[in-house]
Amino acid sequence: MAGSVQKRAGFKGAFLEGWEIFKESLLGRIGLTLILIFALMAVASFIPPMIDPMYHPMHGVDPEISFSTGPSLRHWLGTDFMGRDILSQLLAGARVAFMVGVSAAFMSIFLGTSIGMIAGYMGKAVDTMLMRLADMIMVMPTLLVVLILSSLFGQLNIWTIVLIIALFRWPGVSRVIRSQTLSLKTRPFIEAARVAGASHFRIIFRHIMPNVLPLSFLYMTFRVTSAIIIEAALAFLGFGDPGTVSWGMMLQWVWKTGHMFKAPYWLLPPGICISLITLSFYMLGRAMDEVLDPRLRKEADAS
Amino acid sequence: MELRRYIIRRLIQIAIIFYVILTVLFLLFRLAPGDPVSRMVDPTMTPEDAQRLISQLGLDQPIWVQYLYYVKNFFTGNFGHSFHYGKPVVEIIWDRLPNTVLLFTTSIILSALVGVFLGKIASWHKGKATDAVLTIGALVTHTVFLPWLALIMIWLFGYKMGWFPITGMISEEVWLDPESGIFAKALDVAHHMVLPLSTLFLIHFGAYLLIMRSSMLETLKEDYIITARAKGLSEKVIRDKHAAPNAALPVVTSVGLSLAFSINGGALTETVFTWPGIGRELVFSVSHNDYPLAQASFLLIAIVVLLANLVVDVLYAYLDPRIRY
Repeated sequence: MAGSVQKRAGFKGAFLEGWEIFKESLLGRIGLTLILIFALMAVASFIPPMIDPMYHPMHGVDPEISFSTGPSLRHWLGTDFMGRDILSQLLAGARVAFMVGVSAAFMSIFLGTSIGMIAGYMGKAVDTMLMRLADMIMVMPTLLVVLILSSLFGQLNIWTIVLIIALFRWPGVSRVIRSQTLSLKTRPFIEAARVAGASHFRIIFRHIMPNVLPLSFLYMTFRVTSAIIIEAALAFLGFGDPGTVSWGMMLQWVWKTGHMFKAPYWLLPPGICISLITLSFYMLGRAMDEVLDPRLRKEADAS
Repeated sequence: MELRRYIIRRLIQIAIIFYVILTVLFLLFRLAPGDPVSRMVDPTMTPEDAQRLISQLGLDQPIWVQYLYYVKNFFTGNFGHSFHYGKPVVEIIWDRLPNTVLLFTTSIILSALVGVFLGKIASWHKGKATDAVLTIGALVTHTVFLPWLALIMIWLFGYKMGWFPITGMISEEVWLDPESGIFAKALDVAHHMVLPLSTLFLIHFGAYLLIMRSSMLETLKEDYIITARAKGLSEKVIRDKHAAPNAALPVVTSVGLSLAFSINGGALTETVFTWPGIGRELVFSVSHNDYPLAQASFLLIAIVVLLANLVVDVLYAYLDPRIRY
């Protein structure tokens, strides 16, 4: 699949060709636009605390308000139960979502790709061992695993959470990369490299990796969503990093402080943001799927 | 015969995986910072009771002996006492298990059936308005944040409309009333189940719909479909009898692959709706440092996931005669 992206003029050519197909996809365009909006929100999150310290998402409390109030000119989305600004929390949440999503996805893709290539290329015992390990991790519900770990090791900080998510989300990717590697392994150019005396390490990272990377990249978009969801759910249940304001945390506050029936201005925004960012990365992933999988493209052409 | 051999092989695999999970959990409980004794013995116990429990769990022995005790206690169903409930953990677990299984299996089966049905319709109207509405609807419901959806359901149908109860699984007045028969009680549980079930259903059916749709589109290009058309069979027969059963196979696979994800969702749903199941008990025990209960709930959930995986695999092997393991 991935190997069949025609190499027009090196990497740049392949990229441009992919972009041509991607542009045609409505899902892809919507997804990318939404992601850009969220990225802008993340960047904008630095602005409110600079205007006035009371807009700080975590420590900023409006001196005149000590309870939840609805939207006003002073607080566009209202305030939470302590008088903190909901809009600046929402912006800070976008930053956390990107941080968690992208770093966890990057790590799990790195792990999954390396393990998949090694398993597929080495075969035999190494393959069996790695794939059994993958099977085992795959059946574990990640959220509940993180829950157990945080009960044993106390409050986890955001990077530990990211690391655990990454450690539990590589098996799916590694399976796909493994089967891709298995088919690449039989190609003449790998044989040629081996005859020329290239080491296993060099063959894997120099000759196989460039051919599986597009596929890894596709899986990365799906991993971004799952990491964001897991972090949000964890924060919602009260096990998030107490030092960060994430959307899941905001939902936990609205739920636990009993505001969900009286403060829709507070209940709606974080939920909509989590759902929309998930949706946008999902749409991006599906559009990239079309770029990478010529079979799907033909189906689209036929109709 | 072949199928039986396959099931036995899978059972052995499952036993090995479970054993590894059991061991890893033991190591985690011992390696975590803090005193392992305080993690298994209720701080409010009298010293004599505590001492008895310590020797029962082997906590005064070297770590490898503790491990033997741990494995033995697992197989004899001795998980210690819950700190919060002050009862043997195993009693609580057995009490909660049926509730989880009820909610979980109903939601999976319902969403798979509806997903397959709607996916078939979407593929049949490919490129038309019906398809667009179904596909977009599936995308949106599939990616909505589950706890938030649960809160919205509670707010809308429980609070605003007041149609459904928003907490628990039974109403005491119905269950304590000697007048009410089995039917009234079942109806009461069903009434409580509507909101959690719809939440889980909405989250899950979209994925199945999308898979069914693309699988149908693939299948309709197969040679035997062209043959069926050439025979002059009606489109309805081709769709429902020839294409759909084969196209539904990937849905079965994806039910299996998404089980871990569904379990996460189940735990969140149970927690928000205070449905008395294992998932809620796990979340609750973790927040209240009730370690014996947390450990047992986690192990039980692992067993449920592994067995459900097996059921899905066997179902697949049964449905697809081309596959014989």
